[in-house]
Amino acid sequence: MRGLSISALILIGLLGALFIYVYEDLPAFGDPNAPAIKYTKLFSMAAHDSEEQLGQGVIPQELISKLKERGFPRPSRVESDPESENGWNVFIPKNEFHYDKEEKYYFIQKKGDELNVFRNAFVIRWIEKGLKETGVPNMVTYGLADYRSYDTLGETTVIFTAGISVILLLRRRGRL
Amino acid sequence: MKEDKGERSIVTETISRVMIPFIQLFSLYVIIHGAVGPGGGFQGGVVFGASIILYITAFNLTDGRRRFPESASIVLSSSGLYLYAGIGLLSILFSAGVAQYLNYGFIPLSGQFEQNRALGMELVEIGIGLTVMAIVASIFFDLAHKAEPKNKKEETD
Amino acid sequence: MECLFTMILAKYNYWLSVILMLIGLYAILAKDNLVKKIIGLNIFQTAIFLFFISLGAVKGGTAPIVSQEMISKGYVYVNPLPHVLILTAIVVAVATTAVALSLIIRMNEEYGTIEESEILEKLKEPGT
Repeated sequence: MRGLSISALILIGLLGALFIYVYEDLPAFGDPNAPAIKYTKLFSMAAHDSEEQLGQGVIPQELISKLKERGFPRPSRVESDPESENGWNVFIPKNEFHYDKEEKYYFIQKKGDELNVFRNAFVIRWIEKGLKETGVPNMVTYGLADYRSYDTLGETTVIFTAGISVILLLRRRGRL
Repeated sequence: MKEDKGERSIVTETISRVMIPFIQLFSLYVIIHGAVGPGGGFQGGVVFGASIILYITAFNLTDGRRRFPESASIVLSSSGLYLYAGIGLLSILFSAGVAQYLNYGFIPLSGQFEQNRALGMELVEIGIGLTVMAIVASIFFDLAHKAEPKNKKEETD
Repeated sequence: MECLFTMILAKYNYWLSVILMLIGLYAILAKDNLVKKIIGLNIFQTAIFLFFISLGAVKGGTAPIVSQEMISKGYVYVNPLPHVLILTAIVVAVATTAVALSLIIRMNEEYGTIEESEILEKLKEPGT
């Protein structure tokens, strides 16, 4: 068993080195600006006259063409964000992305001389609209039993199968 | 578990007799209040299974099997899964031509749409709790049962 | 040197999870007893749960239970998505451990031992 222990230690050393290699990409612990809970950056474009158009509520043509060539859904409406300065929320229309109503999808922020275009994270919709749509305050419960109830059905089947297989394996030892 | 040694402990038996109903009551509280606070179906089911394990550990395995026979565990686990799949099938049937997405809101349990969703979620959590409780108790019974020796050869356990 | 120290301290949760993961992996590979391997598998799974949930922490965030007054006061919530996914994974870990332990009981009845090297020797010799 000496050979197996030594090769296991070498493998663990290699995996530790691999972790150090990817260490710098992980977000810091408790970062409120991490991309998983806020937004991820898509691209940035120059802001010549797009800013006045966004201020009036018109979507600039350059934005529509850039989003279309990258394969993102088409925007429909612009509104200025009340919580952050120089920020605009962009909505997508009904049935564009299998949603029933129009949804807040993109976020544009002006920084210096450029407009940065972000895409909202997935959980923003859960946090903001969950209580109104389902009537249940607990986020984890309506995430498990309402939005992802199909996965929970498979989960219950897994634990049922485990119990049945334990009964089948240990049946020959005499019943109580 | 203590049947071959023949000794009983009075302190353990008395404490278990007092604590087991309150543990079961707490598990029901955790299942049903999963909508308002932390908890839910899986958590409450495991706590209920833990109360059955406490009964087996304090008393005999034979007494525990008499209180929780094998037919009860199979019936409870199957009916929990049946309840879950039944609520899903009902929601498919009721929202057939009305909407293009499935949610529990179309089942006519009460008047409003959001209330239907909350009630459907509660029924689903009860189903999960039943299955998890029966399976946890059944797994413990099967793993703890000592095999009888065969052909005068000792079984190492 | 100070910058390096801050970099290590700022993400200390990943260090803890990875060290637990490596301990569990060593137990699976290099131990001889079958039950110790299954316990190593359990340690490995627990370390993965810790890693995934600590990815979704937010500084100063409260538990993910929404209420109307908290929205008006402007509370910050922890990311609820990792919690939902890990609940499923915990149940899978429990089911795997139960089936593995019952398999070990059956192997013990067949071969009379739970050391892996002795079982391999008994399989190699010609005879039942």
